Amino acid sequence: MKMTWRIWVLIVMLVLALLMIHPNFDSGVLIKSLDQDSPAQLQGLKQGDIIAQINGAKIESLEDYNSVVNDLFKGQEVRLDIVTSKDEFIFLANSLNMTVGELPRTNLKTGLDLSGGARAIIVAENVTLSQEELQDLVDVTSQRLNTFGLRDIIIRPVSDLTGGKYILIEVAGATPQNLKSLIGEQGKFEAKVGNKTVFTGGDKDITHVFRNDATQSAVYPAELISDGNYMSRFTFTITLSPDAAQRHADITKTIPVDPESGGQYLSENLTLILDGKVVEELRISTGLKGQVASQISIQGSGVGSTPDAAVADARASMHTLQTVLITGSLPYKLQIIKIDTISPALGKEFTKGLIVLGIAVFIVVSIIIFARYRRINLSLAVILTMFSEAFITLGIASLLGWNLDAPGIAGIIAGIGTGVGDQILLLDASKKDEKEIYFRERIKLAFFIILGSFATNVASMLPLFWTGAGMLKGFALTTIIGVTVGILITRPAFADIISKIGDK
Amino acid sequence: MEQNQTHQEQISKFESFYNKRYKLLLLIPVILILLSLVYLVRFNSINGDFIYKDSSLAGGTTLTISNVTVSVEDLKTFLQKDFSDFSIREIRDLASARLIALVIDTTAQPDLIKEKVEEFLGFELDESNSSIEFTGSSLSESFYRQLMIAIVISFVLISLVVFFLFKKVIRSIAIVVAVLGNIILPLALVNILGIKLSAAGIAAFLMLIGYSVDTDILLTSRVLKRNEGRVNQRIFGAFKTGIFITCTALIALLPAFFIVTGLPDSFRQIFLILSFGLCADIINTWLLNAAILKWYEERKK
Repeated sequence: MKMTWRIWVLIVMLVLALLMIHPNFDSGVLIKSLDQDSPAQLQGLKQGDIIAQINGAKIESLEDYNSVVNDLFKGQEVRLDIVTSKDEFIFLANSLNMTVGELPRTNLKTGLDLSGGARAIIVAENVTLSQEELQDLVDVTSQRLNTFGLRDIIIRPVSDLTGGKYILIEVAGATPQNLKSLIGEQGKFEAKVGNKTVFTGGDKDITHVFRNDATQSAVYPAELISDGNYMSRFTFTITLSPDAAQRHADITKTIPVDPESGGQYLSENLTLILDGKVVEELRISTGLKGQVASQISIQGSGVGSTPDAAVADARASMHTLQTVLITGSLPYKLQIIKIDTISPALGKEFTKGLIVLGIAVFIVVSIIIFARYRRINLSLAVILTMFSEAFITLGIASLLGWNLDAPGIAGIIAGIGTGVGDQILLLDASKKDEKEIYFRERIKLAFFIILGSFATNVASMLPLFWTGAGMLKGFALTTIIGVTVGILITRPAFADIISKIGDK
Repeated sequence: MEQNQTHQEQISKFESFYNKRYKLLLLIPVILILLSLVYLVRFNSINGDFIYKDSSLAGGTTLTISNVTVSVEDLKTFLQKDFSDFSIREIRDLASARLIALVIDTTAQPDLIKEKVEEFLGFELDESNSSIEFTGSSLSESFYRQLMIAIVISFVLISLVVFFLFKKVIRSIAIVVAVLGNIILPLALVNILGIKLSAAGIAAFLMLIGYSVDTDILLTSRVLKRNEGRVNQRIFGAFKTGIFITCTALIALLPAFFIVTGLPDSFRQIFLILSFGLCADIINTWLLNAAILKWYEERKK
């Protein structure tokens, strides 16, 4: 068979798609993030490294990693021997201070509905934001989520057909329990004495928030406060800016000592207020009266129906409070208008289903084609084209870094359907048992029909790009890529292939 | 040679039947479309809308719980005490009948329904065993409105493409009416079955617009642009190719319903609507569009 340039284009595209998808046969877990100055980081382990072995135990999955790490650290320092795909590291540590993830099998990224995670859409309450204001909000929110310690997040402004402006937030993998308060609350923090504000959240007043230092930040064991209700307290230290510390001195100077406390405290409290709600009333010891206090201890509590739940609640509240103290308040009151948390376990089940379905569709279509044309090489040509189309579409999806969700995959499969239809059209048009003189005309007509249906397919999906905060963009995109690959690459190659087969 | 003869026989048999009856055949899609329209208008006056909307379009919560073994009936009775508007569906593995997931769709707030379901199940729901999707009513309303706008735009766009391809008004209208039928018939069917549509489901209708017009383009192009044979022969030739294409596409969709389970709901709904649409397409292309074309082309002469 003579190779035409159209067939060569197809082959080149297939190779490029393979490079883009980049299948990966290594085993291990991927380091997704690493704490600054942790022993592992100082030893030279980096984000993106693949851990293959820890202390002689093979690490093939996240489960392996978790079980090995859980067995290793019991509070004391241990000797670690970590083998990555490139190197070996031996050091002492009492924890690994890193987050790891499943090694991706390919460059293909799957959407939230298949990989699990959380998605939220937020909108500013009662105001219409300009593009810059929206971008500001995106920046502050993303700083807040990063400060909180969330990695692997996508946060971007989206607007839709009716001019609505939203912020879309996607968090891959595990979802923090307090995501809702992190993104949905304005985080307006004030510390007041009487009606005077001493300091507010953000770096203007607060220069440092102690977070990972056990002597400066702690959650205490829970205590029973009433039947079936436990409370756990937390405390952490913050450093005030000179201005804020001076304000503290000026304000407390005039406050009299509370005689009922035996001279121990002042008669007014330092009230911590978050988004209009009182978090805690702290007594001010007499010694601080009129003092330029640069370090202040912030306290609060968590409650729960079990001691563990109370401690977890306290820890989460502390973490949220620390985050808003660092990042300050958001410029607008926000409203969460959509929030989804998708179970990774369920997503795995769905992914499995979709892969099996893809194979099933393939086999079924191949059988039909063979049953009709009864010629092995013609059928193979159809099957090869079908496969190429899906494969090149996937390649382009990985090139674009596109997250493939379930509707997106439906788009690819439906695209294959259109593709097969077009190939049947070409096969029928190229039948030689009818009058030979019409052959060229028929092929031309077939391409006219193919072009027409391409145009209508694109036209019908186009509006989805701007619909519904971009949530259905994936569906539109994969469908359009699929049919475009069809018309530009696979269809012309297929026409050449069948005419060569026919020539023989 | 023998093959040619049977082909000729087929054509002449088809011709004598089709010449006599094509206007009568035209009545089938026309009546179906009219009935569906009447049904949809009535449906709208009863339900206040043309479809049943799921929580992504009506606002509310979808709670998907994996790997549970509970009686759906008991859960229903339990939830009825506190919620007036909810539905429960099961996703089962076809081969083993294992319950893969339970899907609860309600207009209630996520925390409320989660708490009650937890009370019934006796364990806590977290991301290891469940997914929760919540859409606020303001977003869902705007979602729905936009999808409706998208359908209209999509329809106008393909009408323009069709008109550009075939230039003549009657031919283009025949195609546009057929495509309209391809939306109306499945829509009525979806409502009759009581299916709650999701955003992805409506997106499937958009796809259907582009997907189902293919056979109409095939038919009209063949009738107009092929110089061989009579109108009847061209219609029959187009039919043989077109029906095979549509059936292949339909069969390709089947595994999603009969072989593979554990597919996301959004996915299944897209496939379901596409299959309804392809069935409608067979009727609308070959009985409606073809008849109008034949009538028009033969009158012209």
